[in-house]
Amino acid sequence: MSKFPSDEWAKEYVEKLNSNESYQDAGKQWEGAITFVIQPDGEFKDTAYLYLDLFHGKCRDYKFSMSAADVPKSEFSYIGKYGNWKRLINKEIDPIQGVLTGKFKLDGSMMKIMRFTKAAKEMVSTASQVSTEF
Amino acid sequence: MWYFRSPSIVYGEDALSFLSELPYERILIVTDRNIVKAGLLSILHSNLPSGSKNLVIDNIPEEPTISDVTDRSKQVMEFSPDLIIGMGGGSSMDAAKALFVMYERPDLDLFDITPLVHLGLRKKSRLILVPTTSGTGSECTWAAVLSDRDHGRKNELASPEIIADYAILDPVLVQKLPQSITRNTAVDAITHAVEGHSSQWKNPYSEAMAEKALRLITHNLPAVLRDGNMKSREMVHIGASMAGLSFSNSQIGLAHAMGHSLGAHFRIAHGMSVGLYLPYVVDFNQDYSVESYEILRQCFPEKYRGESLGETIRKFFREIGQPLDLKATGIDRDEYDLNLSGMVGLAEESTGIITNPREANSQEILELFEAVE
Ligand SMILES: [Fe+2]
Repeated sequence: MSKFPSDEWAKEYVEKLNSNESYQDAGKQWEGAITFVIQPDGEFKDTAYLYLDLFHGKCRDYKFSMSAADVPKSEFSYIGKYGNWKRLINKEIDPIQGVLTGKFKLDGSMMKIMRFTKAAKEMVSTASQVSTEF
Repeated sequence: MWYFRSPSIVYGEDALSFLSELPYERILIVTDRNIVKAGLLSILHSNLPSGSKNLVIDNIPEEPTISDVTDRSKQVMEFSPDLIIGMGGGSSMDAAKALFVMYERPDLDLFDITPLVHLGLRKKSRLILVPTTSGTGSECTWAAVLSDRDHGRKNELASPEIIADYAILDPVLVQKLPQSITRNTAVDAITHAVEGHSSQWKNPYSEAMAEKALRLITHNLPAVLRDGNMKSREMVHIGASMAGLSFSNSQIGLAHAMGHSLGAHFRIAHGMSVGLYLPYVVDFNQDYSVESYEILRQCFPEKYRGESLGETIRKFFREIGQPLDLKATGIDRDEYDLNLSGMVGLAEESTGIITNPREANSQEILELFEAVE
């Protein structure tokens, strides 16, 4: 069990992502980094950042930090409150519907990400494969 | 949390007369030449508020491109309408949606039409859509499909703000619809109902709309194709808009992902292309959509019902003359095979693959393209 969010959780997530064949297939042409941003709410007081360097279906590098200054700049950010991340990891929110209903915010070129919705969905749904403690 | 979005719908005999009481003075009509030739524009004209000034853009091509729309936006700006009416099939209605955005927000790029950008429309005008075919459902949806000729790609521009204020379903406009268009567009609507009902984003609203749509269409279409029965036509017309409401509030699936991709590589009617793949996609999804497919199977008239939904659709398509193999669509097999990898690539980029009841990888999509006889 890894605590969400933490470096330990991030490490396990990246391992799971790199062994997810559906992600590798869907993201085989994807180039670009994305940062998951976990925002504070009643349950979680800080902001956490998980930077993921994604290239052709693999995560080449990652960086977890509680400070934005510590993570490299990325082309995309997927941003949501801690409580919504929890629901996402528990598969109670669909990652794309989450954006359409305003539970999550997506920063970056919509045109590009719309062509990779399968990869985006696989990426987020991999998070639910990590055995997570909240 | 999710939404059900719909325009206000005016339907039935004489529905167009609704326009005559509206308080608009400068009305832009976006349509195509066939509509003018068929005399439908004059029917619309006779229903406009008396004394209104009108501008008609009557040259929207089939499957309009981004530049087809941007080229016409200056004309719209100069005319400065307070009402935009898109009348025609999917092409004219989609072009009207895009022109509506460009007119309201000239500072935006068409690619800014995404659900994530607040467009702030309706500061200058309103949008009314009037379908002259029974199938695309565009009058009820919040998407506009515009082709990108250079890349052979169809861009789906979507925003809840481009949903029409009113959709007007007047059966007089489909009374003389040629048989081939009646069939192709109805097959599109059937595909919308099946995909909208079984989508991963399905919900009670999309299910209800799809079930009624499928009943109305499959129980009435054979009579329309046989003898143009007017009452049946009206039911198919309403059914098609309900199918539009279904998929617009859930999502399309793999048959649309593949059909759009085929359409980008070959000149083929949209309905014919999505219908070509529908039975194959339904067979592929069967075990992942057992309950939904059983309900849908029951929506067909009894004489067409087979063991499975796939079989039922094939029987129905055979009856109405929708092609079940490539040869009947007129596409050359060798040329089709040469384009396979491009078609798979494009289909994979469609949002339809993430909402299809069974997620498909590249290999499975390739096998489905190849499976078509
Ligand atoms: Fe369609």
